[in-house]
Formats: sequence, C-alpha cells, structure tokens
Amino acid sequence: MTTVAGSENTSGSVMDQVGDYIIHHISNSDIHHPIIHFPTIFGIDFSITKHVLMLWITAAIVATGVILPIRAYLKKKESVPTGMANALEAVVSFIKDSVVKPNVGPKWVDTWAPLILSYFFFILVANALGLIPIFDTIGVVARFVFGVGPHNDHAFVNNLLHGGSTATGNFVVTAALASITFIAIIIAGTRAHGFIAHWKNLVPHGLALPVYLILIPIEIIGLFVKPFALTMRLAANMTGGHIAILAILSFIAIFAEVFHTTAAGLGIAAFSVPIASALTGLEIIVTLVQAYVFSLLSAVFIGMAINVHH
Amino acid sequence: MEATTFLPIGMGLIVIGAGLGISRFAAAAAESIARQPEAASEITAAVNLPLFLLEGVAIIGEALTFAMLFFS
Repeated sequence: MTTVAGSENTSGSVMDQVGDYIIHHISNSDIHHPIIHFPTIFGIDFSITKHVLMLWITAAIVATGVILPIRAYLKKKESVPTGMANALEAVVSFIKDSVVKPNVGPKWVDTWAPLILSYFFFILVANALGLIPIFDTIGVVARFVFGVGPHNDHAFVNNLLHGGSTATGNFVVTAALASITFIAIIIAGTRAHGFIAHWKNLVPHGLALPVYLILIPIEIIGLFVKPFALTMRLAANMTGGHIAILAILSFIAIFAEVFHTTAAGLGIAAFSVPIASALTGLEIIVTLVQAYVFSLLSAVFIGMAINVHH
Repeated sequence: MEATTFLPIGMGLIVIGAGLGISRFAAAAAESIARQPEAASEITAAVNLPLFLLEGVAIIGEALTFAMLFFS
C-alpha cells in the first residue's frame, strides 16, 4: 500500500488512490518506465518491461527445475528416478495419463504430451511467481533501508517496481500461449487427416445445404472462440484474484479515511487481513487449477481435431 | 444516468448465474458419487471439463464488466 501510505503529497480522494494502486498492481509496467530501454525496431518497442522479465525468470526456473533433472535422468543407466526427477515423474505421468491420453488418444499421446507438459509447467511457475511479493519486498527495502524516494524515476529500483509481477495476468502473454494452441490444433488435424480433410472435418458430413449455411459460419467463429476463451480465462483468473485481495485490503485505508480515525482502519483490518490471507490460500489452489485447466482444454481442443466424432 | 450505472448489477447477475450453475454441478456430482462410490474418479473427470467451461464464461463476463467499469 505504498501509494496510500504516501498520501500526504498526492492529490485525489482515497478511493481514486486505491483504484490507481490496484490498476497499477495488476498491469504491466508503463511503457515510459521500462526496466531496460531498448531502441524501437520496425515500429516495435523492444524495451524490457516487468512481465518480460517475469517471463524470463519463469523460463529460467522451468529450465533449471524441470528440463535439467529430466535430461540428467535420461542420461543415467538405471531406470528408477531419484530426487527432483522422482517428483517430476508423478506430475508428468499424471498429465500424460489423465489429461493427454483420454483426450488425444493413445496413438498421438507421445506427439502432444510434450506441448501440454510445457504449458503446465510454464503456466504453473508463472502463476506461482505472481503470488510471491518479490518486487514489493525489494521496494520496501529500497524505500526504508536505502532511502530511495518514491518519485525518483532515475533509480533502477523504482523502474523495477512499476507494474505487477504476474506475467500470466497479462492478456498479451496468454494470447501468445493460446495462439500456440490455435496453431497446434491445425497441425494436429493436418497430421491426423491431411490438410484438406482437416478443414472438411470442421463440419459434419451429409447434411442439407441450408444447414451448412448456418453451420459453417458458426464453426469458423468457434475456431477463434476456443483460443480466445483460453486467453481470457487464464488472464482474468489471475487478475481477478489479485484485484479481490487488494480490494479487501484497501478497505482498511478507505474506512480509516471515511471515519477520519485510525481506529476504524484497525477495526476493519481485524476482518480484512484474515480474509485476504484466506484468499491468498485460495489463490494457491487457483494457480494449480488454472495451469491444469489450460493444459486440459488445450488437450481437449487438439483431441477434437484428431478424433472427429461426426 | 451514465452507461456504467448498471454494471455492478450485471456483475451480480453473473455471480448468481455462475453460482447456480456450479452448485448444480456439485450437487449432481455429490449425488451420483453417493449412489456409485466406485465410479467417483470417472464422475469427477466427467464433471471437470464442463465445470471449467462454465467458469470460463463467468470469468470472461466478469473481466469484461471490470474492463468497462475501469476504462469507460
């Protein structure tokens, strides 16, 4: 609540400040305050913003925590996994046997299990990193230990503090992940049935002509609705949880301001802090469930292109 | 009267709809598991997917309502 705490030198009512703080927390860093400035190439600004940094950290954690143990396990002679590979084996076999195989079918499970597993681990780590207040802790330390002012735009730490740290709460990131699913659906259908047959399979065969006039547009819309729903579901879930936690915490500031006494804020804090803690616990479940849901729905959509039921 | 006046009511309607839908899912799943405890894992697997699709529709509605509220 840095903005609310520094309310002496900012204008506007407490409601505006709280709203600004929540928007600031869930959005990416401002394009005018990126972490590292890069030049604009072909009209695209390549500056490193907070969510790009979080994506890199996620990729680094997945690479060291998942890929390296599995490669070390594959190099070994004995087939019993130990340590990290042992823990990963449970997750991998769960995703492969109860998510990919029932949807994609036994013939193609080895083709599509790596993609679905990559989704699962990447989204899980990115979601979980958003729950850890790394940058907020750095900000508190910088403000109160090293005395960096809140409006010093040249300080590296302040550029680091702009924006929230849930990379999967950004609609652009999830849109990129969903476009991979969109392409994977087309590739899966093409590899299973051939390019022309895949597009023919979108609609059932042997119906009357007027039905096709309605059905073909619906199926074309459905083609784009699937990845769109994946995009919105993941990003909105991650954003919504953070908004709920921060909104409940900001009741403390709002009540203290409305009743002009600190005691009102402290009284509300007795209720808000336990509720916010419980919501954070719920967010840990949501983190797991959303990674599972994205993997499951991607597997379902890929399976729908492979096992055509009509 | 602004266009965003009724947005909170819309959000409430989304919550009511999603709550009713998810509770019907949970009730049906609990009943069928009570009737056939040996099929619990299959029932859970069958309930999961439509549950997530329902939740997705609700959350998309909530996100769009929020977006209209904040950026209008």
